[in-house]
Amino acid sequence: MAQLDQQPEGAPSKIRQGGLPDIPAGTQLLAIAWLRWRIFANGFRRQAGKRQAVGLVLTIVLRLLIWPIFAAMALGPTLGAGYFAWNAISGHHPSQLIPLLAVVAILWQFVAVNGAGIAASVSSFDPASLLRFPLRFGRYLVLRLLLGLLTPSTIIGCLALFAAAIGIAIANVRLAPAAFLVLAVYAAMNLFFSRMIGVWLERALSTRRAREIFGAVMALFFISFQFLNIHRPAHHARAAATDSWIMNLLYGTNRVLAWLPPGFAANSILPGHPLVRLGEFLALVAVTALFFAAFAARLHKQFLGEYLSEGAPRATPSPRQPAPAAAARAPTENVQRATYNLLSPTIEACLRKEWVYLRGNGNQIIAMLTPLVFVFLLSRGILARHPSYLLAGAVGYALLGLLAALYNIFGADSTGVQLYLLAPVRLRDVIVAKNIAGMTLLLVEATLAWCLAEYLATVPIPLATQISTAFWVIFMLFANLTLGTLRSIQAPRKITLAQTRRLRQTTASKTSGLLVLAILLGSILLQIPVTLLCRHFHNAWLAVWIFAPLAAAAVAAYGLLLNHADRLILTYRDRFAEELCGD
Amino acid sequence: MPPAIETTSLTRRFGDFTAVDHVNLTVDAGQFFGFLGPNGAGKSTTIKMLTGLLAPTSGQIRILGADLTENSAELKRQIGVVPEGMALFGRLTASEYLRFVGRMYGLDRVTTDQRTAELLDFMNLAGEDKKLITDFSHGMQKKLALAAAVIHGPRVLFLDEPFEGVDAIAAGTLKSMLQRMIARGVTIFLTSHVLEIVERLCTHIGIIHRGQLVAQGSIEELRARSIPPPHPCEQAAPTSTPPTLEQIFLEIVGTDREGNLAATPPEQELSWLS
Repeated sequence: MAQLDQQPEGAPSKIRQGGLPDIPAGTQLLAIAWLRWRIFANGFRRQAGKRQAVGLVLTIVLRLLIWPIFAAMALGPTLGAGYFAWNAISGHHPSQLIPLLAVVAILWQFVAVNGAGIAASVSSFDPASLLRFPLRFGRYLVLRLLLGLLTPSTIIGCLALFAAAIGIAIANVRLAPAAFLVLAVYAAMNLFFSRMIGVWLERALSTRRAREIFGAVMALFFISFQFLNIHRPAHHARAAATDSWIMNLLYGTNRVLAWLPPGFAANSILPGHPLVRLGEFLALVAVTALFFAAFAARLHKQFLGEYLSEGAPRATPSPRQPAPAAAARAPTENVQRATYNLLSPTIEACLRKEWVYLRGNGNQIIAMLTPLVFVFLLSRGILARHPSYLLAGAVGYALLGLLAALYNIFGADSTGVQLYLLAPVRLRDVIVAKNIAGMTLLLVEATLAWCLAEYLATVPIPLATQISTAFWVIFMLFANLTLGTLRSIQAPRKITLAQTRRLRQTTASKTSGLLVLAILLGSILLQIPVTLLCRHFHNAWLAVWIFAPLAAAAVAAYGLLLNHADRLILTYRDRFAEELCGD
Repeated sequence: MPPAIETTSLTRRFGDFTAVDHVNLTVDAGQFFGFLGPNGAGKSTTIKMLTGLLAPTSGQIRILGADLTENSAELKRQIGVVPEGMALFGRLTASEYLRFVGRMYGLDRVTTDQRTAELLDFMNLAGEDKKLITDFSHGMQKKLALAAAVIHGPRVLFLDEPFEGVDAIAAGTLKSMLQRMIARGVTIFLTSHVLEIVERLCTHIGIIHRGQLVAQGSIEELRARSIPPPHPCEQAAPTSTPPTLEQIFLEIVGTDREGNLAATPPEQELSWLS
C-alpha cells in the first residue's frame, strides 16, 4: 500500500503539470471491446450448483437452436436480393432495382425493431454509462456506431446489399464498381437511419404518456395495415410470389421512390448520363449525411449530460396535512371495520393497489381494445370462412395477450414484494387479490369479444357451441391462472417501466417465456381438435362433455394451488426476492 | 492557484421544478468539503452537474480553473467519482473492472495492473477475485467504487453518499483512504447524511436547501455564525460546548416556514403510535 502514498508513476505526474497528453483512441476503444468480451464471457460463469449447471446447459442449447434460425433468416433475403438484382439487370428491367432496394431498407428497419429484444437478451451494458470516463465526443460517436453493429438487422441488411451488388456485377460487370460503392453508402444510410430513429425514439418516449401515445399509434398502424390486407383485390392472392402485391405496390410507387434513397441508389448504379448518376449519388450521400448528423446531434445532447426521465428527480417535501380522522383511529378499529366487508382487509387493500396501477396504465386500455378490433377484422377474413370457429376464435384471440400477464403477477411490484413477505398477511390473499384483478379484466374482455362474435355471426351460434365455449373459457382461464401463478412464484421477472428494451433476461425467464407460450397456445388451440371431433361425430354437445370436466379440473387445481401458495412462496423465497428485489 | 471547484449561478430545472437554484460555490484546492442538505435538496443533482453527467440549465462550472463544458474530456481525467448508484459493471470481477477503468483513463498496462493489485489489497478485496461484482455485498461494492474512482490519481474526488449502507470496518477503510488523499493535496467533495462522519472528516461545509446554497464556510465559521454574540451589557459567560454540526444543520434547514423543527411533530399527531 505504500505506493499509494507516493506520487504515482506515469500519468499523475503529468496531471499535476496541467497539460495532459491525449489518451490514444485505440486504448479506450480496445478497453471497451475487452469489457464487452468479458461481460459476454462472464455470462457463462455460474456458481457451482445443479440449478446453475442446468441453466448453463439450457443457455447453450437455446443459443445453438436460435443462431441457425437467424442464419436461415439471413439466407433468404441474401439469396433473394442477389437473384432479383441479377434478374433486374440481365432481364433488362432496371426499374425493378428501385423497389428491391426499398424492400431491403424496409426489411432492415423491420428487423431492427423486432430484433431489439434479441439484442437485449445478450448480456451487455448501457453505452451511456461510459460517459463518466474521459471520452471525447468523436470517440463516443464511433463507439455508439460500433456497439451493436453485429445485430441481426445490420447483418441481414448488409448481406442482402452485398448479394445485390454481386448480382448486378454478374449481370453486367461494368456496373460492378458503381454497385459496390453505391450499395456500401446505401448500407451506411440504412444503418444511420435505424440508429437515428433509435436515439430519437428514446428521447421521444422518455415519458409514460408519450409511450402510451406511441403504443396507440402503432396499434392503429397495424390495424390499418390489416384493413389494407383484407381489402386488396382477390386476384392478388393468386399472384405468383415473385409478383406479390407488395412488389406491385412498390412498382406503382416507383415515381415516389425515385426521389427517395432507394431511387437515388438505383439510379446512380444504372447506366445513364454520368452527371445524372453523379447527382443521384450525391443526393444519396447527402441523405446519409443528414441521418448521420441527426444521430450525432442527439448523441451530443446525451454526451453533454441530458436528463431523460418521467420528471424531476425530486423528493419535494410536501406541506404538512392534518392527519385524517380515519388514520388517527386505533388499528384494531380499522381492521374491525374492514371485516364487515365481503373481502378480507388484505384482499381489499391489494385490490385497491391493483386498481391504482391499472388506472395509470394507458397501455392496458390499448392492449384490451386492440384485440377486439382485430376480432372484427378476422371475422371478415379468416373466421368468415370458418363460422364454427368464430366464437371460440374471437374469445381466444382477445384473451391471448391478457392471459400472458397472469404469468408474472409480481413483476410490476418489483421491490415492493418485500412488504408482502414482511407484513403479517397470508400471501394467498395477495395472490387472490391479484388474480381477481386479472380475472376481472379477462372477463370484461371475454364478454366484449363474445358480444362482438354474436353480433358479427352471419348465422345464429348453436346453444351447444355457446355452452362448450363457456366451459372452454373457464378451463382456459383457470388453467392459465394456476400455471401462471405457479410460474409467477417460481420464475418471476422484474418489470422496470421505461426500460423494456433493457430487461434483464435470466435463463429462467427465457425458458419460462417459451413454456408460457407453449401453454398459452396449447390451451387455446385445444379448441381445434375438439371442434374437429364434434364434426366427425356430428355431435356439437360432445365438446361440452369434454370441456366441462376440464373446467372443473382447472378450478380444482387452482383451489389446490391457493391452499399451498404460502408454502410455495416460502420455498422459492430466495429466488423470488433475488429476482424482484435485486438491482 | 485557482479554486478546485467553482460554480457561478449554477441552475438546473426539470420542467417547472428548480432542483438547483443559482448556486455559487467555491471549494479551494486541498479542501475536504462536505456538501449537506435534506433529502431532495439538490445534492446529487449538483454532483452530477459538477462531474459532467448532467448539463446545467444555466450557470458556469469551473474545475481546476477550466470550464467544464468546454474541457469535459480533459477535466474528467483529473476527477474521480463515486456516483449515487456506484455505476459498476456487475458482470465483471473486481480486478477486471479496475483494469478496465485504468485503461479508460489512459494508464498503461503495467501501471494499471500494479495499482489494481494495490487497491484490491488495501480494500481487502484481493481474495474475492472469483466473484462477480454483482455478487458483492453493498459495502464491498462501495469500496470497489472508491478504488475505481482513485485508480488514475485524480486531483478532485466527488463522493455521493460513500458511507451509505457501509459497515464500520468498511467505513474505516474508506476513511483511511480519503485521509491519505487529503494528505496528498487532493480535493474531496463529499455528500453524506452521516453528520458525525462529515464533522470528523471535513474542513469545510456547504449546505443546500430547496436548491439554494444557504450556508458555506469552514466548520468553525458556521459554528461562530450559529452562536449569537453575547449582549454587551452581559458579562462574558464561561465557555460552553460548541454546537455540533447536527445542531448547526438543523438550525439552518431543519425548520419549516413557521420556525418549528421539522423533526419534532406536534403532540397531537401520531397519538395512536403509543
